Amino acid sequence: MDEAQEQRLILRFSLATFLESVRLFEEDIASAEEIDIAMRAGAGLPKGPLRWADERGLDQVLQDLESLHASVGERFAPPASLRDRVARGQLGVKSGIGYLTYAQ
Amino acid sequence: MYIKRTAVIGSGTMGADIAYVIANAGIPVVIKDVSEDALEKAKAHIDDLFQTRVARGRMSPEDVQNRKDNMTFTTSNADLADVSLAIEAVSENMRVKRAVFRELDQALPPLAIIASNTSALSITELADATGRADRVAGFHFFFPAHMMKLIEVISGTSTSQETLDTLRRFAEEIRKIPVSVKECPGFVVNRVLMASMAEVLRFQHETQIPYQEIDQAITKAGLAPMGPFVLGDALGLDVALEVARTLTAAYGDRFQPGPQLEALVGEGHVGLKSGRGFYTYR
Repeated sequence: MDEAQEQRLILRFSLATFLESVRLFEEDIASAEEIDIAMRAGAGLPKGPLRWADERGLDQVLQDLESLHASVGERFAPPASLRDRVARGQLGVKSGIGYLTYAQ
Repeated sequence: MYIKRTAVIGSGTMGADIAYVIANAGIPVVIKDVSEDALEKAKAHIDDLFQTRVARGRMSPEDVQNRKDNMTFTTSNADLADVSLAIEAVSENMRVKRAVFRELDQALPPLAIIASNTSALSITELADATGRADRVAGFHFFFPAHMMKLIEVISGTSTSQETLDTLRRFAEEIRKIPVSVKECPGFVVNRVLMASMAEVLRFQHETQIPYQEIDQAITKAGLAPMGPFVLGDALGLDVALEVARTLTAAYGDRFQPGPQLEALVGEGHVGLKSGRGFYTYR
């Protein structure tokens, strides 16, 4: 597998994980904090999926999704809660709030 | 509510592991099964778990005896008379589970909570088999239950807040980490895991890159403790396919796994347990 394919695999894996977590959050199935705890304690992920997005920067995640939405398909459409946060300037760790909140 | 005495219904591997976890927290537990043979197997499995702890110097033989004195193995409902929480861990079949819930509703004290370890079935449908829907919830351990820290505490439409609070406290008492989840197909962990597994299967189908290279790239990047193909083989590809179908029916094509999984299961290659799945074992 070449470097570009590997980057693409990592992005598709991470974004599929993030998107399903966001759907759970938007459907109010569980809180953002507890979704992250569940994926760490129940699946052994080193980082919660929502925390992952907050660290990457939600503006960057939105860009990633727009590009995959165009190239791969509808399942990568950016979710409403992500567009809302980016529009409000809540970009994740760097702005102190995203899906989770961070002490400045 | 304070949980003084518990019961685990169904003494397969999962039931035995759960009973071991509860006993290890010093809480009395009744292990009930319809089969004496299953109870004997559970006893042997639990003995093994204790012996491993003793061999590692984590527990003394006296501690083990104290824990075991707190465990009652039985086929009789009479032993459930003073139980305040029963955790059902019988086979993953709605008809079987509903029959067990009806029976528990009769055998348990009126205020006792009945929880199910189901990983997929509707809590509300289980609750409807009883006259105490407010005291029914999901209490979903992860395999193997004596190692994995998470418990999904799942509410059905009628589950009361008090029941959920009691179960969260109880999870902490047995040294687990509870998260509160509203009922939905897959709950949290399996839903997210299957979404990412389906995506990686599609990537593999498009690129035809070997499974092993993909698994290595994912673990090397620190995204997960094991790659999706290793995980699928460990889980059982028949189980994974069944879950993928259920979730596709519930949520749509993003859970459609691509043709490899179906082909392997069709050929009887269901993973670790059959010696071959995505990988070949021995």
